[in-house]
Amino acid sequence: MSEGVMVSALALVGASLVGLRAWGSGGYALLLGLGGATLVQAGGGMWYGDGSAAGVFLHLLGLLTMALASYVPEYLGHHPKEAPVYAFLVPLFLLAMVGVAQAPPGLPFLFFWEGMALLGYLLVALEGPKAQAGARAFFLASRLSGAGLYLAFLGQGHLGPDWIWAGLLVGFGVKAALFPFHLWLPRAHPVAISPVSALLSGAMTKLGLYGLFQAQTWFGPPPVWVGFALVLLGLFGAVYALVRGLAEEDLKGALAYSSVENLGLMLAALGGYFLTGKVLFLGAFFLHQVGHALFKGLLFLGSGALSERQVSRLGGLWHRMPLLGGLVLLGMAVGAGLPPGAVFAAEWLLYQGFLFAPGLLPLGVGALALVGALALYFYVRLFGLAFLGAPRGNVALHLGPGMRFGLLVLAVILVGLSLFPQEFLRPLGQGLYPSWALWVLLALAFGLYRWLDPRPSRSYGTWDCGFQPLTPRMQPNALGFSEPALRLFPFLRLKVGERPELDEPLERVYQGVGEGFGWATRLVQALQSGSLHFYLLLQLLTLVVVMGVVLL
Amino acid sequence: MTALLFLLLAPLFSGSVKWLKARLTHRQGASPLLEYRNLAKLLSKAWVRPGLSTPVFLLGPTLALLGALAAALFLPLLPGLSFAGDFLVALYLLNLGRFFQMLAALDTGSAFGAQGSYREGLVTILAEPGTLMALGAAALAGEGLGLAGLPVLGPENALVLLLVLASLAVALLAEGARMPVDDPTTHLELTMVHEAQLLDHGGPLLALYELAASVKMLFYAGLMALLLPGPKVLVFMGVVLAWALALGYLETFGVKLRYLRLPDFLSYNTLFGVLALLGAIWKL
Repeated sequence: MSEGVMVSALALVGASLVGLRAWGSGGYALLLGLGGATLVQAGGGMWYGDGSAAGVFLHLLGLLTMALASYVPEYLGHHPKEAPVYAFLVPLFLLAMVGVAQAPPGLPFLFFWEGMALLGYLLVALEGPKAQAGARAFFLASRLSGAGLYLAFLGQGHLGPDWIWAGLLVGFGVKAALFPFHLWLPRAHPVAISPVSALLSGAMTKLGLYGLFQAQTWFGPPPVWVGFALVLLGLFGAVYALVRGLAEEDLKGALAYSSVENLGLMLAALGGYFLTGKVLFLGAFFLHQVGHALFKGLLFLGSGALSERQVSRLGGLWHRMPLLGGLVLLGMAVGAGLPPGAVFAAEWLLYQGFLFAPGLLPLGVGALALVGALALYFYVRLFGLAFLGAPRGNVALHLGPGMRFGLLVLAVILVGLSLFPQEFLRPLGQGLYPSWALWVLLALAFGLYRWLDPRPSRSYGTWDCGFQPLTPRMQPNALGFSEPALRLFPFLRLKVGERPELDEPLERVYQGVGEGFGWATRLVQALQSGSLHFYLLLQLLTLVVVMGVVLL
Repeated sequence: MTALLFLLLAPLFSGSVKWLKARLTHRQGASPLLEYRNLAKLLSKAWVRPGLSTPVFLLGPTLALLGALAAALFLPLLPGLSFAGDFLVALYLLNLGRFFQMLAALDTGSAFGAQGSYREGLVTILAEPGTLMALGAAALAGEGLGLAGLPVLGPENALVLLLVLASLAVALLAEGARMPVDDPTTHLELTMVHEAQLLDHGGPLLALYELAASVKMLFYAGLMALLLPGPKVLVFMGVVLAWALALGYLETFGVKLRYLRLPDFLSYNTLFGVLALLGAIWKL
């Protein structure tokens, strides 16, 4: 472990202790910021030094921590009752994630992994009764993930690579929201408070990716089927998550589905790397991680300023807070995979990786294009309905100077990464498109905008077709906007009407599994009759069987 | 260079289609050159700022035009910028324009604008995968995954490239919002896709949008020209002429598809894309 990581670990411990008593003080923010800055420095050193995956993770974790340092104290000011607990747990959660990225494989790794899962669960569950379903989903997912990892780590040396990698795929795949183990994520992430959602979606999910990537050095190269599974499930999961996210009315819930989509693309990139060993895939894998952490952190922290999260009750927020509108627009444009964003650069590498790959892999291009078109639709819906148009309800907005600064930190770094993505890719020796051409485009757009804006214009009402005047309720609501697209996909059914209903067959499969599990446990329960005679009979039978086995 | 050529040619292209449609319905038709004067008039007019609008309202036309022109920059019809994977950047630049065009339509708070906005998104979902697969197939059949290395139609790659050309033809109709996907001359807001998004944009903003729509169609025509043998610029002129004729006849004698039937038509694009890619993989 490098000195920088030690310093940041100490700063985080200090922050958590200070937070318990004085979460609003400058000292808390300073310690958290120090922890973040040293992580950025140490992680950057590791990545630019020898291209280590842990370096990328620590780097992006540090960036998020720096933004949180100024955001969290002010945000917690709106929840003074739970504030000390949050202020105490958040640095510990960060510390556990640093531990996962630094621990050697084996028991130390599992210790930090389970600690991270437990702290994450607490942070979700703290939000109160309405978060209970989400927290339970988080907990169950952590248990499933733990089971997979125990199989892999304890079975090392006893089991064949197929079993080990199946365990790893479940263990790390659950955390990285691999389809079909992704259902917990959109339930658990959005119910937490916004800074915690930003950490869960932006950073914690990346540890699943980190684990899958590192596993090839810990357990040897993966069997071929692992690569195929990652590509197929990753691409399908990305499409599935975007379509399901289109039917989501909650702003943060939709952002969580977008996380599943982005993680699906990263998993597909990793699968492509396992199959072909091409650096193109690796570049897409790492660049997408940092880009996603930054833009998703920005969007979750931005949504923390709103008191209302139902998209159909928002609208016209731009007029009330142009700065928030501009920053969220930046995050969503990058998230939609538009050039010159960092996510676009990653997708561009992924496209080429698929085109250069052998066999039928080039067909992945079609899935990527579908993801791109769906993401466009997805983010136009979120931004257009929430921030543009006419307001549809009364929404309270809280965005003080500290929170604003936290958002600006992320936005500036995101712009920097988008303008110079090739700098980030230097350790891999991977080139990129000439990005200066895109800067020229942005400069021209700015020039044209500045030419148009002052030209003579007059203010007038929106065209209403010459009949009765428009009302805010005439704008489409969140489900109405996406209904035409939802028609196209068979794995989701939306019944429109007075009360729209959503039917997701995958959910019914999970319900069936849950009911089957309940049925099986009830069978075992029959043994616990409570009758002493029955227990004595069971003991006798056990004795007879054991004696029989031993003697024969 | 190509971008400038497209900018100069775009009004002539849309003007010629309008002239041809007029002649086919036994009207005299305005001169194709009228479009230039129309654009000059629009550019000099004042524009209307809807009460609810934000800066996004202006970003729509700005980026729609600049995105399409920047995409044209990568077409090696005339000397320009070329590198591996340039067609991906070009198509995503069109998406950049589309994203802000869809947002600008929502910005006015108009129900019609919103309708146009999600219909545009739907057309993108249906058309984009096939187009990208077809272009990927063409790039695989050529050298270096760039537009400069695209192969030209010949007996050895006829099957793949004909499928690519078919896919690009469907994409041009979808992207240019022409019949049977959309009707550029419709007078009823309820049936519009492209025009519904521009309802509140007037004067110079409308001019930018109209230029952008024509440049996008020329971009797809340019892509098709790259795949045909012969001197590039001449082939391009031929393709544009053929498209002007085709659009004129199609929009005079054809009908617009019902909006819910769009998937039936645009799935041909996906089909051509998949087949072209399979052909390129197996080197048929």
